Amino acid sequence: MIFTNLHAATNTWNTVGKAKEKGLFDFDFIKWMAWTWPTASFFIFIAVCITVMYFWEKKDPGGNPRKGILTLNTTRGDRLFVSLLSAAFIHLAWLGLTDFNLWIASFLSSIFAIFVFRYV
Amino acid sequence: MNKTYNQKAWFFVIPVFVLVAFNAVVPLMTVVNYSFQETFGSNVFAWEGTRWFKQILHSERFHASLGRQFIFTFIILLIQLPLGIAIALTMPKKGWGVPVCLILMSMPLLIPWNVVGAMWNIFALPDIGFLGNSLNSLGFDYNFTQQSGDAWFTTILMDVWHWTSLVVLLSYAGLNSIQPAYYQAAEIDGASRWDIFRYIELPKMKKVLTLAILLRFMDSFMIYTEPFVLTGGGPGNATNFLSLDLVKMALGQFDLGPAAAMSLIYFLIVLLICWVFYSLMMKNEGRT
Repeated sequence: MIFTNLHAATNTWNTVGKAKEKGLFDFDFIKWMAWTWPTASFFIFIAVCITVMYFWEKKDPGGNPRKGILTLNTTRGDRLFVSLLSAAFIHLAWLGLTDFNLWIASFLSSIFAIFVFRYV
Repeated sequence: MNKTYNQKAWFFVIPVFVLVAFNAVVPLMTVVNYSFQETFGSNVFAWEGTRWFKQILHSERFHASLGRQFIFTFIILLIQLPLGIAIALTMPKKGWGVPVCLILMSMPLLIPWNVVGAMWNIFALPDIGFLGNSLNSLGFDYNFTQQSGDAWFTTILMDVWHWTSLVVLLSYAGLNSIQPAYYQAAEIDGASRWDIFRYIELPKMKKVLTLAILLRFMDSFMIYTEPFVLTGGGPGNATNFLSLDLVKMALGQFDLGPAAAMSLIYFLIVLLICWVFYSLMMKNEGRT
């Protein structure tokens, strides 16, 4: 795979540094980027978001501009940006302030994103 | 009406995409990858999950440098904005004084940051520097290499010297774009000098001032080179600003994972504040 450290999520201190089988797409030039599936999924998610926005724009051009509850003029691109940025801060706050499962923060972020797309 | 879309224009954007991918997206992706792993080099990584983020968020060292950074940026804005506007108001509007003032004002901006740091380091040395020596001769106990108050004073003075010009030039441009009719109307109404400033000049300068605040915020919040050369973050940790601390963690201690997590948090803070500024700037622009 292109993600050299595909196994990294299971790569603990017991297995670190041990020889691994080289995958078909295990390119050396990309090794330094230290890809893992969890981080790759994050970027794939962002790419999917942007692709969805592209098709949404095709279907309903103009970006659906409006003045939301923040009294700011926003398009749906702005709303995606606000959702992603708030998701980042919700996750950070969750990590900093609580010891609960991080998935709850992701769930809260999704709820908040729906709120942002609806009202901001 | 059916519009015809010509998609060929996208090809012209490809070089920019490639460039941005190589100098921004790929490094940022790498930072994200590093922030979840531990490494000692040689491309060997071990998964650590959110450990570094937790560590940074609970780290007193991070809180301290973030606090210092906010205080520094706040002081910088508090001094440079009023000072810049005041200087711009006193600059001549026509005649030979205009180019002279503009060139004098631009000069500090043209000096490379590390040179500014080195200049001020020598200038402020308590034994041989002109500033340091003079202050000590006048009876002040000044030593920026040993006293944190003096280090802050020197760093702020250096930044004010280096960057107030930017605010001056922007404000001056804003002032020059005001039509004479406004001043004539104010004169007829018998407005005082303060009224003219408060109700004509300041509102007309709103856009350039927002830009000035944004630029000064960004630059001072990410300041690195000048304090690195001047104080190196010292004495102790007194002027250890966020970017200095980050580099110490990444390159000094080679803690790449925590440093990556810290830089992502740093990045998110900058992104948030820029977004707030941008939204405020665009609020009354009527983009819709």
